[in-house]
Amino acid sequence: MQANEKANRVVLSRTLFLMIVCGIVVFIPLIFKLYDLMIRQHDYFEELAIDNQTRSTSITAARGIIYDRNMNILATSATVENVFIDPNEIEKNGYDLAKIATGLSEILDVDADYIIEQAQDTTKRYKVIARKQTEETTQLVRDFINNTENIGGIYLEPDSKRYYPYGSLAAQVIGFVSADNVGAEGLEAYYNSMLEGTSGKIVTTKGNYGSEMLYSYEKYYDADNGDNLILTLDTTVQYYLEKNMEAAIEKYDVLNGAFGIVMDVNTGEILAMATMGSYDPNNYQEIYDDEMAKALEEQYQEAISNPEGSQAYEDGLAAYNAAVATARLQQWRNRVVSDGYEPGSTFKIITLASALEEGAVGVDDTFYCSGSTNSIKGRVDPLHCWKATGHGTQTTKEALGNSCNIAFADIGIALGGEKLYEYVENFGLREETGVDLPGEASGYFFNKGLLTDPNSQVSLTSASFGQTFKVTPLQLVRAISAVVNGGYLLQPYIVSEVQDSEGNTVLQNGRTVLRQVISEEASAIMREMLEYVVEGGTASNAQVAGYRIGGKTGTSEKIDVFDENGQPVDDLITSFVGIAPINDPQYICLVALDTPSTATGIYISGGVMAAPTVRDVLSDILPYLGVEPDYSDDEISAVNVATPDVVGLTEADAAEALKEKSLTYRVVGDGETVTDQIPVGGASVPGASEIVLYMGEEKPTDKITVPNFIGLSVAQANDTAANAGLYIQAKGTNKTDSNVTVTYQSVEAGVEVNRGTTITVEFTDHSARD
Amino acid sequence: MAQERLQPKKPEEKVILDERGILDLPYLILTLLLVAIGLIMLFSASYARAYTDSGTSTYYFARQGMFALAGIAIMLFVSRINYQIWRSFSFLILAGSIFLLMLVPLIGTEEGGATRWIYLFGISFQPSEIVKLGVVLAFAAMISVYRERMKTFRYGVLPFAVILAVVAGLLVLEPHLSATIIICAAGAAMMFLGGTQIRWFVILGVAAVIFAAVYLKVQGYASSRITAWLDPFSDPSDSGYQIVQSLYAIGSGGLMGLGLGKSRQKYLYLPEEHNDYIFAIVCEELGFVGATLVILLFVLLIVRGYWIAMHARDRFGALMVAGLTTLFALQVFLNIGVVTNFLPATGISLPFFSYGGTALMLQLFEMGLVLSVSRQNRNNLI
Repeated sequence: MQANEKANRVVLSRTLFLMIVCGIVVFIPLIFKLYDLMIRQHDYFEELAIDNQTRSTSITAARGIIYDRNMNILATSATVENVFIDPNEIEKNGYDLAKIATGLSEILDVDADYIIEQAQDTTKRYKVIARKQTEETTQLVRDFINNTENIGGIYLEPDSKRYYPYGSLAAQVIGFVSADNVGAEGLEAYYNSMLEGTSGKIVTTKGNYGSEMLYSYEKYYDADNGDNLILTLDTTVQYYLEKNMEAAIEKYDVLNGAFGIVMDVNTGEILAMATMGSYDPNNYQEIYDDEMAKALEEQYQEAISNPEGSQAYEDGLAAYNAAVATARLQQWRNRVVSDGYEPGSTFKIITLASALEEGAVGVDDTFYCSGSTNSIKGRVDPLHCWKATGHGTQTTKEALGNSCNIAFADIGIALGGEKLYEYVENFGLREETGVDLPGEASGYFFNKGLLTDPNSQVSLTSASFGQTFKVTPLQLVRAISAVVNGGYLLQPYIVSEVQDSEGNTVLQNGRTVLRQVISEEASAIMREMLEYVVEGGTASNAQVAGYRIGGKTGTSEKIDVFDENGQPVDDLITSFVGIAPINDPQYICLVALDTPSTATGIYISGGVMAAPTVRDVLSDILPYLGVEPDYSDDEISAVNVATPDVVGLTEADAAEALKEKSLTYRVVGDGETVTDQIPVGGASVPGASEIVLYMGEEKPTDKITVPNFIGLSVAQANDTAANAGLYIQAKGTNKTDSNVTVTYQSVEAGVEVNRGTTITVEFTDHSARD
Repeated sequence: MAQERLQPKKPEEKVILDERGILDLPYLILTLLLVAIGLIMLFSASYARAYTDSGTSTYYFARQGMFALAGIAIMLFVSRINYQIWRSFSFLILAGSIFLLMLVPLIGTEEGGATRWIYLFGISFQPSEIVKLGVVLAFAAMISVYRERMKTFRYGVLPFAVILAVVAGLLVLEPHLSATIIICAAGAAMMFLGGTQIRWFVILGVAAVIFAAVYLKVQGYASSRITAWLDPFSDPSDSGYQIVQSLYAIGSGGLMGLGLGKSRQKYLYLPEEHNDYIFAIVCEELGFVGATLVILLFVLLIVRGYWIAMHARDRFGALMVAGLTTLFALQVFLNIGVVTNFLPATGISLPFFSYGGTALMLQLFEMGLVLSVSRQNRNNLI
C-alpha cells in the first residue's frame, strides 16, 4: 500500500496547491484591480459617470447689448428656438417618418428629403433641422407635434438670435456673431468675452432613455448675462458719413468702394467709421455688391452645368465656394483699421509739421517750382509737379495750399531722412493705434536706411509727399489730429464704457495721450496753414458756409496693384481730411474714394471729389453736434432765411421787416399797401435776396421752367437765376474765377416751379487738381 | 489508517440517506450568507429593469427568491444522500448532459448570436451547466477507479481528453467560450489532482494557447471584444459600451459606495445589471469595502470547499468536491475579472448573485453534494 499512500499524498498536496491558487492567488489581482478602479481612479470615473447620468439643460446667457453714445441700440439679442429631431427615438418607437418630414418641411421651409436623410443616422439623438426660428414658427411646430398621430422625436431648444436694428449702418465696426453666437467680426469679436457672459445650466439626474430615478437630484447654476457696450459712435453722424459717401460713390462712379472716419480731435473718440461696399449683419452671408453677386451666380451656374460628380463640376464648385468666401471677407473688412493705403498729399501735413517743429523750414521761407526738377540726388527721370506749368515762387503756406510736390521734396530734404523717420514713428505711423477693434494693421513704411541714404534722395522725397508707403486711415487721422490739437498723439477708442447687466461699470475708456509730438506753437501754425488750403488752396471745394474748415487733399497712385498683364494699374485713391472748426479743432473727418471711374468725365482728384464729400458730411454733422455757425458777410447769401409776411403793411413797415432779415426788395405797382409778395411769407430764401412786393398790381401766377445751371460760371449762374425769377443758394467753393463752375443743381432743368423758388447750386473749383 | 478510510466501504454504499455525521457548518453558513446577500443585491440591481420590463419592481427578485428557497431545500436534501450513489449515476448524468448539449443546435433558442438555452419540461436552462456537473462527477469516478494508472497516457490522459474534446466541440458550436474554458480548466484541475503527469499539462497548456489563438482569429466578435477590453473608451457607445458603463458603476463606488439601493448605473445604463454585471452594482452601492467583503466570503467558501475535499473520507468524494469547488472558483474569478475589465468580456454569471432560477438551483444542488461529502468527513472539527 506504499503506492496508495503516496497517491493519497499526491492528491492531498495537489488539492492544497489548488486551494492556494484557485482560492486565494487568483483573487489578489482582482482586489488590486478594484482598488485601482474604486479608490485610485474614483474621481475620474465618478465624474464620467455623473456626466453619463445627468442631463444638463443649458440656460443661455443673454448676450450684451451694443449702444451708441446716445443709447440707441445697435445690436441686441432675442430668444429664438432651434428645431431638432431624435433619429434614435423615431426609429425605436416606429414613428411615421414620412409624416414628420412633410409636416416639418411645410412649416420650416426645409427640404423633406433633407429631414429624411438626417433621420437615417439612428445612432444619433440630436439632428438640427432648422435654427433660430421665431415664435410664430415654433408655435406651428408645437401644434404639429401635439395634433398629429404617430409622430414624435421632434424637439425645440432655446437659442438666441442677434438683431442689428440699424442694418448695414457701421456694419464693419459692429461686426456680427456666427450661428453659434460667437462674435466673428468687429466689436462683436473684440469684446466677445464680455458680451457673451456665462451660460448657466440645470443638471438633472435621469435614467437612461429618460426613465425616472429613485434618488434623483437637480442643481441650478445661474446664467451670468453678458455686459453691454456703450460706444463713442453716434448713429446720426455715422448715417451722415455713410449717406454722403454713398452719394459720392454714385456721383463719381467709384469702383472700389470708399472708407471714412469722423473722430474727436481732442479725445480720440470715434464718432463714425465706415467702409462702403458694406453688408447687413442681420444677413451677413449674403453678398451685397450687386455686380459681385451677379458674377458669383454666373460662376455657380457655370460650375453646375457640368455633369454632376465630374471633376469639372467639383472643381467649379470649389472655385465658386472660394470666391464666395473671398467676397464675404471683402465686404466684412473694416478698411479704416485693417488696410493700409498710400496717403498721398494728405501726408504733407506730417512732413510740414515735422519740418516746422524742427525749424528745418520757416513760415516765411519760399520755394520755387518750375513744374519739374532734375536736382534730386539719385533720381534718373525728372520729378514733375502735378501742375506742369509750375507754381512759381511760393511761401511755405502756399506750397501746402498748392500741394506742390517739388516744394515738399525740398522740405523733406531740409528736414532730412533721419528726422522724418523719427517723426513718422512719433506720429504713430509705424505702430498700431491700439484702437479697440480687431484686425488692426500697422502700415508699411520705408526702412530707415533708404531714407537716410547719402547717395540718393529718391525715397526721402517720395516719402515727403506721401507716395510709395502705406498707412491705415486711422493712423493718418490720429497723426493729423495730433498736428492740429496742440501736438498730442492719442489712443483712439470706440467703446466708452462697458456695463454689466445690472448697469455697473466694468470698464471705462477715456482720453489717452500717448505723447506730445509737436509743440503748441507749431500746431497753431499748422492750423492756420490748413485753413489756407481750404480758403485759397486745392481744397476750396470743402468750404462750409459759417464754419472755418481746415484740411488737405490727396490723390494717390496704387503702386502695388497690378493688372492681369503685370502692369501697374492706373487706379487712384482720392481723399480729403478736414478739420472743423480749424481755429478751435473739434472734429476730424477723412473720406477716401477708391478708384473713381474715368467714365464720368470729372477730373479725378481729392480736391474735386473727396473735398466736397467731406464738406457735405461736415455741413450735416457740425450743426447736429452743436458747433455754432459764424457767418461772414460774404457768406450771408449762403444762409437761408424765412421771408416775413409783409402783405397788408405799408412800404415803410415792409422795408423795416425785410431789413431785419437782411433782405432787399423792389416794388411793383403804386398802391398804398403791399397786396402780395414773391416769395410768399415763410418761404426760405438765401440771405440778401431781393423780395418782390406787389402794391396793387396782380402777381403773376405762371410757372417757371428751371433753366440748366450745370457748367455755368458764378456770374452766369447768378444772371440766369435773376432772369428766370428764381433764387439760387450757392454751396461749395467761394472762389469766383473761371475754374469754378456749377456741378450740381437741386432741381433739375426743365422742371416747372413757382416764381421765386430757391434752388441750391453747387460750385466746384476744377483747378483743385490734388 | 488513512488509506483504509479512503477505501470505498461496500456495506455503506447501500445506505442512501446518510445520517451519521453533521454537515459542515461553516460551508453551510457561508453558502446561505452568500445566497442572502445575492438576493438582496439582485433586488436592488434589478429594480429599475424589472419595472421597465414588467411594470413590477420586484418581478426578478420574487422569482429568484422562490428558486432560492427551492434550491436551499434541494441542497439540504442532497446533503443527506450518501454521495456514493453519484459514482454510478455519474456517467448517466454526463451522457444525458452531452445528449442535451447535442439538442441545443436543434431546439435551442438563439440569443445575441449564440444558441445556449433549451426549453424542456416547462423550464428553460443551459445544458452547459449540467455538463459541468456531469464532467466533474464522471472524472471523479474515473480517477478513483484508475488510481495509480493515472500516470499512464492511456488511462491518465486519453479518456479524459476524449470527453473534454467532445464537450468542448459541442460548446464551441453554440458558441459558448466561457463554459468551454471553465469545463476544460476544471477537468484539467481534476486530472492534475488524480495524478496525471505534469508534462501532459505542459503539452495541454501549449495546445490551449494555440487553440485560443485560432479560436479568437475565427470568431470575429471575440476579437472586437479584445479591442474593447484593451481600450474600452475607444468605442464607448458601441463595442465598449457595456464595459465602460460597468467601469462607471465600479469607479463611482469609491471606498464606502453610494449606499444600498442607491446605484445610478442600474437605471438602464448598465446592460445585464441584474445578470452578468451585477457585481458592478455591488461595487457601486457597497463600495470597495463591501465588494472586498463579498469577495472574501467567496474566498472563504472556496477555501472551505478545498478543505472539505482534503478531509473527504475517500478519493471519489475528495475529487468530486475539489472539482465542484474549482468550477465554482473559476466562475467567480472569471465573472469579477470580466466585470472589472481585468479579463476580456465573456458571458459568465456570478454564482448566487446573477439572476437565473435554474442556474441557482443547480448551484445549490452542487453545494448539497459538497455538504453530503462533508457529513462523512473523517474530522468533523472545524
